[in-house]
Amino acid sequence: MYRLTAFKQSACKFDKGFIMDYLTSLLPFMLEGTAITLKLFFLTLIMMLPFGVVLALGRLSKLKPLSVTTQFYIWVFRGTPLLLQLLFIYFGLGIIGINIDRFTAAVVAFVLNYTAYLAEVYRSGIQSIDLGQFEAADVLGLSRWQTLSRIILPQMVKRVLPPISNEVINLIKDTSLVYAIGITELLRVAKIAAVRDMLFVPFIAAAIFYLVMTAVIQQTFKWLEYRYAYYR
Amino acid sequence: MHILKATDVYKKFQDTEVLKGISMQVDKGEVIAIIGPSGSGKSTFLRCLNRLETIDSGSIEIEGEYMVKNGPNGKAIYSNEKDIARMRLKMGMVFQDFNLFPHKSVLENLMMAQMLVNKVNPAAARETAMVFLDKVGLAQNGPNYPFELSGGMQQRVAIARALCMNPDVMCFDEPTSALDPELTGEVLQVMKDLAMENMTMVVVTHEIGFAREVAQRVIFMDEGIIVEQGHAEEVLLNPQQARTREFLSKVLMAR
Repeated sequence: MYRLTAFKQSACKFDKGFIMDYLTSLLPFMLEGTAITLKLFFLTLIMMLPFGVVLALGRLSKLKPLSVTTQFYIWVFRGTPLLLQLLFIYFGLGIIGINIDRFTAAVVAFVLNYTAYLAEVYRSGIQSIDLGQFEAADVLGLSRWQTLSRIILPQMVKRVLPPISNEVINLIKDTSLVYAIGITELLRVAKIAAVRDMLFVPFIAAAIFYLVMTAVIQQTFKWLEYRYAYYR
Repeated sequence: MHILKATDVYKKFQDTEVLKGISMQVDKGEVIAIIGPSGSGKSTFLRCLNRLETIDSGSIEIEGEYMVKNGPNGKAIYSNEKDIARMRLKMGMVFQDFNLFPHKSVLENLMMAQMLVNKVNPAAARETAMVFLDKVGLAQNGPNYPFELSGGMQQRVAIARALCMNPDVMCFDEPTSALDPELTGEVLQVMKDLAMENMTMVVVTHEIGFAREVAQRVIFMDEGIIVEQGHAEEVLLNPQQARTREFLSKVLMAR
């Protein structure tokens, strides 16, 4: 509140000192928002990565009911907006009497949505692996599970790193959608401050926060790709 | 005593009949070369022997045990998975494209199945791996990754990998077809060495010279049937069938 007063007092005096002061006062709130953003990001990440594999395997299964069900799932969750899914899970579940808190609803929606995308990425990765790899493992007597876990999936990981990095970068930005169910994450903090103080600076600050996070993600994937460069 | 016996094997891909009643047997210590034009079904037949492809009717016996035989309705019925898995381990397979595991070192390629399938401990697996790497002349290359090796070396690793499982019969599916001509010699030499040690071998190949030199028996296949088979020298030097003569003259002309 006092910022608004300070702003009026300064009467559009946009000197450097003012902006620095302003940002310093904004920083704790931005960091708090970022903590929520990161919490949602990491929770979604650690679940979507393995769940996507499970779904991809279901999608590739020879059992018709299983592959049809997973295809349907993927269609629904890729075919509707994430924002809609978020609203649906938070408000929709409330209507039928299942009350979950906002944050849990957000995590559920994000995991369900992103798993569908990852399943397709993994599927393309698995299908890109030469049939000869399956056959070589087969004639050596490896079980299906051993073939998957020792031969196919490790090779798949290397191939899907670039598309996965896309999804992960999308994820960090998509977390901003949870404002719609009233969760105060990074962008919402910036928006509240911007509206309250009639300043554009908070948006720029938020942009910088996102850019730093995506830079870290990019570097992480660059490192992962480097680590997998030991074979061709 | 026969190690492998196939009787009246039929196989269709969709509507195309690729194997039309193949019967043959392989005795212990025998080297058999299967030759024939591409599309003749020779690779498919080899792949049927260890169930990389399933057959529609007929029977396949491994060391006197049926892996598959005809049921009362004339359709092939496979034995249970556990028995098949055990029988398949008696057969080593070498592919045209090597199919080494690219994310594993040469040594790991050789050790993996020993440890996972035969439950051999790592030290013993490593020892076995080194014996066979040395045998194919690659004792120095254990730590290398497949992409670091030439095609010929990769194929020798693939042979060593199959040998590590201690098979009774080795199957080769056009083992030199994916290689540059100057690299086929080293692979063929390894195979000759194996033959010298009385390894039972079934080799699908375009290398007529190799077939003549190493194989005791040659089978000539065309359009899904065995057109001619017999002693290597006889089939290759004095073929009785017109189709065999035609094929051989084409292959030998190309040299």
